[in-house]
Amino acid sequence: MTIQQVLFIVIALAVLGSAVFVVTTRNLFRAALMMIAAFFGIAGLFVLLDAGLFAVAQVLIYIGAISILVIFAVMLTRGMQGMVPRNSQATAAAVTVAIVFAVLLLLFGPLRLTIDVARWPVLSLFAANTSPRDVGGIAWTPPGQVIPPVPDTYIADFGRSLVDLNQYLLPFLLIAFLVDVVLAGAIFIARQRRPAEVAEDRQLQAEEEAEEAEAMRRAGALPGPASLPEGAVASTSDH
Amino acid sequence: MNVINDLLKIISDFVAGIVNSIFSFSPFLADVVTMGLAAVVLCTFAALSFMGLTYVERKVVARIQDRVGPNQAGPLGLLQPLADGIKMFTKEDTTPAAADRWVYNLAPLVIAIFALTTYAVLPFAPGVVGTNLNVGVFYIIAIGSGSIVAIIMAGWGSNNKYALLGAFRTVAQLVGYEVPMLLNVLPVVMITGSMSLTDIITQQTTLNGNPGIPFIVFFPLSALVFLISGIAETARSPFDLLEAESEIVAGFHVEYSGMKFALFFLGEYVNALAVAFVFSTFFLGGYAGPVLPPYIWLLLKAAAVFFIFMWLRGTLPRIRVDQMHNMNWKFLVPVSIVHLVVVMALMKLFVTSPAQVQANGGILVTPGVQAAILFTASLAILIGSLLIAARRARIMRLQEEAILEQRRAENIAAASA
Repeated sequence: MTIQQVLFIVIALAVLGSAVFVVTTRNLFRAALMMIAAFFGIAGLFVLLDAGLFAVAQVLIYIGAISILVIFAVMLTRGMQGMVPRNSQATAAAVTVAIVFAVLLLLFGPLRLTIDVARWPVLSLFAANTSPRDVGGIAWTPPGQVIPPVPDTYIADFGRSLVDLNQYLLPFLLIAFLVDVVLAGAIFIARQRRPAEVAEDRQLQAEEEAEEAEAMRRAGALPGPASLPEGAVASTSDH
Repeated sequence: MNVINDLLKIISDFVAGIVNSIFSFSPFLADVVTMGLAAVVLCTFAALSFMGLTYVERKVVARIQDRVGPNQAGPLGLLQPLADGIKMFTKEDTTPAAADRWVYNLAPLVIAIFALTTYAVLPFAPGVVGTNLNVGVFYIIAIGSGSIVAIIMAGWGSNNKYALLGAFRTVAQLVGYEVPMLLNVLPVVMITGSMSLTDIITQQTTLNGNPGIPFIVFFPLSALVFLISGIAETARSPFDLLEAESEIVAGFHVEYSGMKFALFFLGEYVNALAVAFVFSTFFLGGYAGPVLPPYIWLLLKAAAVFFIFMWLRGTLPRIRVDQMHNMNWKFLVPVSIVHLVVVMALMKLFVTSPAQVQANGGILVTPGVQAAILFTASLAILIGSLLIAARRARIMRLQEEAILEQRRAENIAAASA
């Protein structure tokens, strides 16, 4: 075993261990912290793959942003700390997920080299005229073949692929647009309303209520508000 | 080889040579041991500078506030950090009964680890750098966001409402100020064309090793905003809202005592010093400088930046939460974005290398002319945005005064009625 393999096994075990802890512990805050540990392990795997940019991005985005959001959701949810989850479907869910992942791995993962598509009629539905190699997924290097080193320019290549019309420009722009919309929406919901707007809203609400009451009265269901003078509605809207 | 100029390089080569000859059977093991030694040296340097900085800061702030500062332990109070250290070590190490023990005990360690790992990519002299990452800039920003996790762990683990309040403030502040920080590192990265700190310093020196034009001349606005958000990121005064003693006792570390508290303190100082080092690397040319050896130049520059931190701490009152957010989201971020776009366009228009002109077009200029153009643009944006902000502040103040006046008139009318 090379030292890289030892490191990979250690990191992978750490990731798996903390991931198992995340789904089994009853303390949600600790679960979030262990999720951070798992993310760190994944950053370590990226380092092993010689992909420093993605390791650092993993730390910045998943640990610096997403985990913090998760922790805050946990902290702000009242009664979350003392809650005992009563989910009896954990085993069934685990089995389902395991089966789905196994199928995905067989279809698209590195294991696909070992299966003959022609022998599995079901598989040929998904990959009819392709050789197993072309199905997609993770690049598979047969034993003995030397993995080519990561080129020095991979950061620049990655950056260019995001603005290249033929590669990822459209998804990139769509995500940017989505983030903009979400930000604008959040600001719209959370903004401080001007007094004039509040008054206008109340006026509209009062008018709507008056109309409703009018309609009800006409329908004969509610006899009361007919005696309400016009000025009463106007005075409620002043506050 | 000039012995004094390359002292650090000679020592590190010497040690690496010894290690390599001992572990000649396995180059990998030799690498691991060399890296381990380098890590120990860097951590010791950071911890020792923490000791020195506490003393210097107390002296400087005392001088600003017309006091004497520490003067009892040793000559001029020089042994004060040692006395503090002994006090911290011998203090009782308490754990609140209701605390989440694991989280509570891990938090100080995590903050110290994140603070110390920043030093791995700082170049101290030509060839003397822990590791020359090609994503060094990105690494520093990412590691900086890790200390948020530690502060949340402390705030939650203590099971104390003030600690939790401090942790809540942390996230809003530290996550928010990461945005202008990143936006103002980008011009430096763009003009260098690399995220490696060594490349950034090389770009600020001329070809024969003399100091060139530092990036603070290219982007004065970026330097200013980076300095402000750096202070906010390390939660130093006037941005020390997360440990505001007068509001939330001491914030996230209210339950910590003894060595654990000392680790939080260490994290704060080591982080602040790291920001000073990073600022000198990005904007002041790093170790480049005439006559004196490079590591002395870097230390001098970092010390000057750290002096600004201490100066601000002694001068400014703590800002309010709403002021802190307004300043970030309504001033620093928009100004940084406008600056980024303008600078980007100018850098595309006025290029310094003939190869780039052939590839993308543009006007060929010397670096000096490019610096002058960028300096003018950056300064114009800075002054313009400050003028707009001042104008807007005056309008808002007048409006507030008008409202107050109206209320006063209403009160008088109500009283007389």
